[in-house]
Amino acid sequence: MALITEDKHWAAQYPELGTDPIPIEPCLSPEYHERERERIYRRVWLNVGREDELPRGGDFFVKDIAAVNSSILIVRGKDGVIRGFHNACTHRGNKVTRESRGNRNGFVCGFHGWAFGLKGDLINVTDEEQFFGLDKSSCGLTPVATDVWEGFIFINVDPKPEQTLTEFLGDWGKALSGYTFGSMVMRDRYETEVNVNWKVALDAFQEAWHARFVHKRSGGEAYASKDNPYIHVLQFKLYPLHRMMSVPGNAEFVPTPIQICAHQFGKSYISRDGSGEGLPPGVNPTRNPVWMFDSNYIFPNFSIFVFDGMFFTYHFWPLTADRTLWETRTYYPPAENAGQRFSQEYAKCALRDTWLEDLSTLEDIQVAISSRSVKHFMLQDQEILVRHSHKVIADFVGDE
Amino acid sequence: MAKPSLPNEFNDLEPFAGWALPTERERNHKRINSQMSEIQALYDTMVPRMGAIMEYLNKLPIDGMPEDAQRLFHMTLSLAEVAPAVEFYQQPRVIDGFPAERFIPIDVPDMTPT
Ligand code: FES
Ligand SMILES: [Fe+2]
Repeated sequence: MALITEDKHWAAQYPELGTDPIPIEPCLSPEYHERERERIYRRVWLNVGREDELPRGGDFFVKDIAAVNSSILIVRGKDGVIRGFHNACTHRGNKVTRESRGNRNGFVCGFHGWAFGLKGDLINVTDEEQFFGLDKSSCGLTPVATDVWEGFIFINVDPKPEQTLTEFLGDWGKALSGYTFGSMVMRDRYETEVNVNWKVALDAFQEAWHARFVHKRSGGEAYASKDNPYIHVLQFKLYPLHRMMSVPGNAEFVPTPIQICAHQFGKSYISRDGSGEGLPPGVNPTRNPVWMFDSNYIFPNFSIFVFDGMFFTYHFWPLTADRTLWETRTYYPPAENAGQRFSQEYAKCALRDTWLEDLSTLEDIQVAISSRSVKHFMLQDQEILVRHSHKVIADFVGDE
Repeated sequence: MAKPSLPNEFNDLEPFAGWALPTERERNHKRINSQMSEIQALYDTMVPRMGAIMEYLNKLPIDGMPEDAQRLFHMTLSLAEVAPAVEFYQQPRVIDGFPAERFIPIDVPDMTPT
């Protein structure tokens, strides 16, 4: 079989990134992290979920985001529109809902009973006569800029976002538009808090090379082949803020008995449905038959891993300079029978165990680099996404 | 006489009915607290029966199976749970893995399209 990836140097295509080692201090410094919070997280669009989580008018969920010191309430109105608000009562600041999700006709604050409608408007004030010329129309819940792309709900806590969501997603968004996100539903979801800087966590998923080592038991062989032992990718593509890579599989990989079983009954995660015909041009961009998946990294902390027939997402939420909340969510077409559900359950268990392998290095890295004995990460060409990610972050964060 | 816990055709799987657990946490907990010999026995017994099991279960409504079929279905989900232990690690836990206890499943709301 021919080489599936030519030896090319991606750095030559993106000369502005250079080839120097990159400093580790940004993964340690609380002061750098403060600037990330102020200059990145408070200024850009952040994904908080998908609109299918809110199928009916009155459905809501709450997302607490430590990086912006906010509890965000996302609500679908009876008019079908999805809106975002700060989950903070305009009387004396209590959360207007303590539930993480549900369906309501409005929100009544538990402290003194102020009532808000689904559009955030202040509807009722108890003991209103005791106030001093209270203007209810100016006391609605504080809105948060909220917009939806391909079913993904993004918020921006900047009161006047510099870019619209469409501008922010830019050419990356155009390349992915048209993938069948809407035909799939969330099947499983995990969360974990890890003692690691959010960038160290993100970087662990921004190259394919590690799979041969970290995943040598669980799936590395599905990717690493004789011709491509270190899983050189089919393509990297860097956008001003976002980035992607297209990852090949090993055409000679022999699935395990359970994998054969799972593929026979339904859709699992390493089964391939074919050449990916019908996928938008931005998915499997090289149209290579050994293609396995594309991983997309939406600045700053959101990833979408797109397969033929399923996808999953990661969120890397910084809690502090050395603590991260990591979330995974996996989406499939709705299972129509027990066999399909079994296939999805197998994928869930195998992916979960693979993630436990990925997570295994993170806290060790944070402890080891905290010594500051190593001052730089040395990056090779296949780690260009890590390089790009740190560069984009550093450009936002600035010097002082 | 007590109602058999599995559909008639699958009575022989009765010794493994302890794996008929409804949630991922329960199945994962049982996996990581079992001996490899118990896990291997479940795997060796279930794998050759999967064709027949799914032929049986696929005829039933996915939500709303009779109780005995539901139990059989949950046993197949336990097979999915233990498969990595058998096929990847040859031990109950992920080798050198992050603790499964810290990787928490979050309830997924019903998102059936309306
Ligand atoms: S803080 Fe909400 S009603 Fe007083
Ligand atoms: Fe990995």
